[in-house]
Amino acid sequence: MATTFAGCLGGGGSDGLTIGHLAPMSNPLGIGSKRTVDMAVEELNDDGGFNGEQATVITKDTRTDPSEAQSVTEELIQQEDVDLLIGTFNSETTQSILDLTAEFDVPFMITGSAAPSLVTDYAGSDYDTYKNVFRIGPINSDFQAESIADYCAYLNDQHDWDRVAFLRDQAEWTEPFGEQIPGLLSERDLEIVYQDALSIEGTDFGPVMSDVNESDADFVLRFFAHIDGGDMLTRWHEGQYDFGIEGVHVSGMLPSYNELYDGAATYETTAQSGAAGVTSITERTQPFVEAYSSRYQDADEAPIRAPMYMGFNTYDGIHVFKEAIDSLETTDTRNNLDDFVGEMLDVDVTGVAGQLRFYGPDSDYPHDVREERRADGTITNYPVTQWVGPEESECVYPDEHRTADHQLPSWMQ
Amino acid sequence: MLGDIATLVLQGTMISAVYALIAIGFTMIFGVGGTLNLAHGALIMSGAYVFGVLAQGAHPAVAFPITILVVALLSWGLYQILVRWVEENVVITFLATVIVAVAATEVILIRFGSSPLGMTLVSGAVNLEPYGINARPRIVQFVGFVISWVAIGLLWYYITKTDDGRSILAASMSERGAQLTGVDLHSVRSKTWLIAGALAGAAGIILGSTGGATPLMWLNPLALAFMIVVIGGIGSIKGSVVAAYVIGFLEQFTVTFVGHGFRGILSLVVLVVFLLFMPQGLYGREFAHD
Repeated sequence: MATTFAGCLGGGGSDGLTIGHLAPMSNPLGIGSKRTVDMAVEELNDDGGFNGEQATVITKDTRTDPSEAQSVTEELIQQEDVDLLIGTFNSETTQSILDLTAEFDVPFMITGSAAPSLVTDYAGSDYDTYKNVFRIGPINSDFQAESIADYCAYLNDQHDWDRVAFLRDQAEWTEPFGEQIPGLLSERDLEIVYQDALSIEGTDFGPVMSDVNESDADFVLRFFAHIDGGDMLTRWHEGQYDFGIEGVHVSGMLPSYNELYDGAATYETTAQSGAAGVTSITERTQPFVEAYSSRYQDADEAPIRAPMYMGFNTYDGIHVFKEAIDSLETTDTRNNLDDFVGEMLDVDVTGVAGQLRFYGPDSDYPHDVREERRADGTITNYPVTQWVGPEESECVYPDEHRTADHQLPSWMQ
Repeated sequence: MLGDIATLVLQGTMISAVYALIAIGFTMIFGVGGTLNLAHGALIMSGAYVFGVLAQGAHPAVAFPITILVVALLSWGLYQILVRWVEENVVITFLATVIVAVAATEVILIRFGSSPLGMTLVSGAVNLEPYGINARPRIVQFVGFVISWVAIGLLWYYITKTDDGRSILAASMSERGAQLTGVDLHSVRSKTWLIAGALAGAAGIILGSTGGATPLMWLNPLALAFMIVVIGGIGSIKGSVVAAYVIGFLEQFTVTFVGHGFRGILSLVVLVVFLLFMPQGLYGREFAHD
């Protein structure tokens, strides 16, 4: 009887720190994220805990489905009494639970979605209600667009590439790119010679490649998250088209992607937080990637060599949380939300994907992770990687993190 | 301009051949048993995954026939184990096959996750630019085209020239009439599912080899099969082939002259026009008078 009673108490209340992790668990991004949240909590528990308390993690599968995300979030908040929510991948899913987390004053750290609207339309328009929400990474799409434009300028310096074919998913997340990329490229003396948004319901890449080829573009700048670019890449290799394929390709971030497509991804690039763990973004990046791969190299499910970008951000999020909790001197975040937010705004932590500091209430992006800029103003925490072998990729941009120069495809060399 | 048209014709021909392969099995099953097999897309998907797994260890030329056989048997099994017991009730059949399709997605997710599975049937591409056509089609597309027409030819021969095949045609014209002439309906339906499965398997291999296999790859082919069957005339194989080319060329026309994001729009408009003004389709009940 006493055990049962104690068990009931243990499930809720303020004793013990509970972290709720939300991710699509059939997606390697989600699996990587779950592994890193487990790693971070285990390491920090062993290292004295969160303000002395041991944390437990409960992971729930959002299935990339807003309604499923809402129901599991409610369960985490109401039944598990979590002190922190962390994760969520696509922007639609993240958006669907913002109100819920705000209503119950649960700190929420976004680690997988980049839409600026998650900050501007919420904390940006009603700060008091949504002050519980922070984005750990990646930098939002507005900054991503700027960083990608700088990367295109680098390509122009490197290969004299100034004619751009601009392609994107016909989806919400690419809208900021659709609005900003043309202007940003023209400021950098690059010309868009072809552009289109591709149906995410199925695109035949034969005609797309013909159109790009006809436009005489030097490279394709594409933003694909819903579309898997495998068909495009295979046509590119087999047809030996004379243009590069650059930009953002979420499927292509999977460490085993190039093997899955028999090397068809070789020479394509994608920007991604954490740079797939191939470079030392900070002094903590490599030790983290080594710990991850030694722990998961024999796991059945991908990703085994390094988590994908969401995993880097989730790992950093837990470290940021510890920093804030230790300063707050209590783990009861929900009843001390204002103080917790204050501590979060003072955080300046070196993470595995970059330096973590957050924008304050009066900025354009309240509680969004700050972009890092070098002295000349160039954004540096949105690195670009290039596949150079079946399992190997290199960081090609920016200068501070580069492990190799950007390579032309073998048939163009 | 001439080059544009040549490119359009080439790309349209390639994609339409795959669409025909996707739709024929679906229309046959509907023609013979009156069953809307919503698991048709799932059978196509299983073709892609079976081939993808086999091709990792075996030569594609070996993996290809084995995959066709496996998917044909899966389709046959689906009929024997589930559909034959509920086929008299349209709604139950509808629901049962949807559930199979959704369950297939879950199985794929558990076994393979949501990352795409790539595979190679044949590699290489042909650069047609020296001939004035702005395209570098992949050899696998030519192979898909050939497979599609070989399959259509074999099916046509089987259905019109063999007694076995004629019994399928007879059953699709009039079940009662077929029974009166001694046709065993159950065996005809089993055969139809077997053939439809083989065609779905071939479609799956082509789709998987061009775009990779994913757990939701069954949705688009199923929607396409629906559109093609409505436009072609429900139950008509000839109609399905013609409609597959109509849809394929409409899509190609749209992406060439409007934009890639509008790919499916024109076909949907045509679909609505058919539903409103020509619900029997191009060759509706053609079976009954062939």
